[in-house]
Amino acid sequence: MAKDRPELRPALRAGRVIPQILKDLRALRVCVFHPRDQDGEGLTRQLERIGCQVQAFWPPLSTLPDGVDLVFMALSPDMLDTDFAWCVSDEAPPVIAVITYENPTIIEAVLRIGAKATVASPIRSFGLLSALVLARELGSTIKKQKKRIAQLEIKLAGVRQITEAQNILCKQRGISKKEAYQVIREQAMNKRVTAEEIAVAIINANEILSFKS
Amino acid sequence: MANTDPIKVGVLYSATGATSAIESSQLMGTLLAISEINETGGINDRELVAVRYDPQSNTQQFRTLAERLVTVDNVNVIFGSYMSSTRKAVIPVVERYNRILFYATLYEGFEFSNNLIYTGAAPNQNSVQLADFMMSFFGGRVYLVGSDYIYPYESNRIMSDLVTQRPGGETVARRYVPVNAGPGDFDEIIADIKATQPDFIFSTVVGNATQHFYRAFAEAGLDPKKMPIASLTTSEVEVAQMGAAAAAGHFTAAPYFQSIDTPANHACLKNFHRRFSYETMPNACWEAAYFQVHLFANAMRAAGSDNIDALMPKLLGAEFLAPQGRVRIEPANHHTCLYPRIGRVNPQGQFTIVRASTSAVVPDPYLVTHSLGDWTLALDELTD
Repeated sequence: MAKDRPELRPALRAGRVIPQILKDLRALRVCVFHPRDQDGEGLTRQLERIGCQVQAFWPPLSTLPDGVDLVFMALSPDMLDTDFAWCVSDEAPPVIAVITYENPTIIEAVLRIGAKATVASPIRSFGLLSALVLARELGSTIKKQKKRIAQLEIKLAGVRQITEAQNILCKQRGISKKEAYQVIREQAMNKRVTAEEIAVAIINANEILSFKS
Repeated sequence: MANTDPIKVGVLYSATGATSAIESSQLMGTLLAISEINETGGINDRELVAVRYDPQSNTQQFRTLAERLVTVDNVNVIFGSYMSSTRKAVIPVVERYNRILFYATLYEGFEFSNNLIYTGAAPNQNSVQLADFMMSFFGGRVYLVGSDYIYPYESNRIMSDLVTQRPGGETVARRYVPVNAGPGDFDEIIADIKATQPDFIFSTVVGNATQHFYRAFAEAGLDPKKMPIASLTTSEVEVAQMGAAAAAGHFTAAPYFQSIDTPANHACLKNFHRRFSYETMPNACWEAAYFQVHLFANAMRAAGSDNIDALMPKLLGAEFLAPQGRVRIEPANHHTCLYPRIGRVNPQGQFTIVRASTSAVVPDPYLVTHSLGDWTLALDELTD
């Protein structure tokens, strides 16, 4: 501040938009698995200050209550053998690990539960909001990407099947690849199914018909 | 045998640097409360003594001097800091040594520490009210001008968010000047304001730079009746610095104005002027600096100690009849329930209060999305 004056900043015409993830904080349902000690209370209180709806349990439940958006999980050394099956399911809400130690045993557990962020114990109010937003953002990005990857895998398999069906038609009917694709498309439209399904039918039929040779 | 040793408290308000004028007023508010307390027997017959340093509006100085107050002077309680950057410099010190910092300045929210008591306004106690008022009288096209640091960034985000909640509301531009901006630094911005003709300007320019902005605005012939400046930080101190002529007609939202017409305020002002010169203008930061010392003294009388573990339980939920009204420390977040008011500078350089909340508004420092119209609107209308 006392240093040389920086240049005047240029006008910022566009208003920056506040991410929806920040606007949603007050509707966020947070599940806290933490021993009921001073730290656990501090964590719950700060989440309430932020405005989240908090449910706290200890010991951890074997299944999550309905509609939970985010989970804080204290990884105390005596809990390490617990099998948190719900943590690794595709539909699981993001988990933030609360850690008291930073040794490989604990960090292995952080990875095992698929944590998207950690907060260090003793818990300070400062840093919790960032961890919370980051974990949600990561969780939702990963979920979106998984869905997209699954869609792309199906699509890619379909492309391979169509190419194979095209090759079969070219060979059998002596037509070009482009014409072969037209045939597949017309069949798909007539039968009201996808081009990929027609391709699979052609491949299967070809396997059966070429059985003799 | 009763303990009659003086009680030392740390006081960190800048006498020099970019925010010296407003921080000096906070120092005067602090000293007023200390002298009132000592005149009525101190705290459990112990004299209250201020250990004062000048942190020069400088972040590093705040950190160094806070550390010195704790380790050399052995104080358990510090009153002080104005800019958020300087508060952030003191926090690690009070947290490490487990001491208490009383912070008497409005700020941008999103903070809580077990070692702090916040007695200035959070955004839900001033920004929302100001936006609501300005938009209903002048329109929703706002031009944002601020000092280049964190408080203006976040305050401007809130203001932008609020204006877009109303049809036709928009942020025309967002401009920042250096914290120690001088007279020439606003020329280009004033020209741009003339060109873009917003409905009102929201100024988060702080400290001694404020006067240069308002003066440049007046000199350019811009009329506050048609296009006023609205602020949270332009108090009686900044108005005195720029002169009433440049300030008249502009608006500020704050929980306290010197012009508040209540017995508690009249008594406090009388006490102040009996002890101190008229050089410092009482203002919202002065008032918060004043009442927080009384809150501390009352809590210490009850606790018998200024150790944080004994003192904090007595502070949380504590009430005090401050010049602005009966204030209360909200136990859930350590901020204070305050009375939002809108004032308009009159030709005498004081604020004519045009709106006031009839009840204290509970602080909500972690509110991301503010909504218009959720305060108890009251009373007076604009007269011309």
